[in-house]
Amino acid sequence: MTSRAAAFGLIAILMATAPLSAQTRLGGNIRANPPSGPVPRLADGKPDMTGVWLGGLPVGDISTALPKGETMPIRPEWKKKMDGFQANDDPQAHCLPLPPPRFTPYPWRMVVTPTHTFFLYEMYDYRQVFMDGRTHPSGDDLDPTWKGHSIGRWDGDALVIDTVGYNDKTWFDNKGWPHSDKMHLTERYTRTDLGTMKVEMTIDDPVAYTKPFTLTGAARLMPNEELVEYVCDENNQDAPYLQGAKP
Amino acid sequence: MKMIAVMVVAAAALLMWAAPALAHHSFAAQYDASKHIELKGVVTKVEWTNPHARFYIDQTSDTGDVTSWNFEMASPNVLVRNGWKRTSLKIGDEVTVTGYLARTGPPAGPKMAIAESLTASDGRKMFASSATDLSR
Repeated sequence: MTSRAAAFGLIAILMATAPLSAQTRLGGNIRANPPSGPVPRLADGKPDMTGVWLGGLPVGDISTALPKGETMPIRPEWKKKMDGFQANDDPQAHCLPLPPPRFTPYPWRMVVTPTHTFFLYEMYDYRQVFMDGRTHPSGDDLDPTWKGHSIGRWDGDALVIDTVGYNDKTWFDNKGWPHSDKMHLTERYTRTDLGTMKVEMTIDDPVAYTKPFTLTGAARLMPNEELVEYVCDENNQDAPYLQGAKP
Repeated sequence: MKMIAVMVVAAAALLMWAAPALAHHSFAAQYDASKHIELKGVVTKVEWTNPHARFYIDQTSDTGDVTSWNFEMASPNVLVRNGWKRTSLKIGDEVTVTGYLARTGPPAGPKMAIAESLTASDGRKMFASSATDLSR
């Protein structure tokens, strides 16, 4: 193996284990540490979630966001299924949706209105959360979709989002942790500081996992930043040539 | 000079996040880390597109044979945050490129590779992708 390949392999290992704080030292105008200061508030006293945010949970392997010492409580038959995934099975390789708990290395916005919260993801989709107190549909009325049916409410300063009605086609990360269409996701977003948004996600999927588990991370504010258009499908040349297992 | 410094520092900083930045598929699924290449050529096309910006170059050997290459780079949103404009690379530019060969590609047409480093004819180093040259 050439020294370059060995060095690249080392970097790949380092990348896989890089702590979240490394993400603040990025290129361009996102090299600086996030600003610190009090949480901005709206006229009604609620935290103002406005901003362009970067990060949340790990992109490569989401299990690194578990509490220390815990492992993903995946059922053996689902682990086998995951181990059989090929790189070409990743919905991301085909520009398909990447709903939470999956994050990308690119920024996102949260737009909170009295009736809806919208997430706008630079790469490359939106998500809507109903804030009007409705409940989830059930039975035949709950269509399995890529992004599920999301309802949201405030719990003190935390925005809590409850989602069911997923299909089983998405992954949690690049590594490919899977889920069933029975997944129930609870997300908590808490702006703890001007520049920091704590992100906690609890996955309750009794079909694929033996018990619920919680992933914790944080997004950082990117001041003076806007989302840049990312039309994934416009020149996706790689999909036919991806080979072998996913990372 | 300042622009070069910004790009070099930006590239070094982005190195900390190299693998996740190549987000829409893994490096190893498409490129061979053991097949490092370095070549000089003339830019024939630039595609400022997602999910990857690409540039095509013609490499001419000493005997006059021309090999065409299709080099993958980071997506435009990453490039603009690392000092690029859409017009930073132009048809006719002479560049030196290092990178890695694709494991496979189309049966005809330019050879596919991923760009690791890109140096303009005036010596300006330009950020290319998350497959960053570690010797920089």
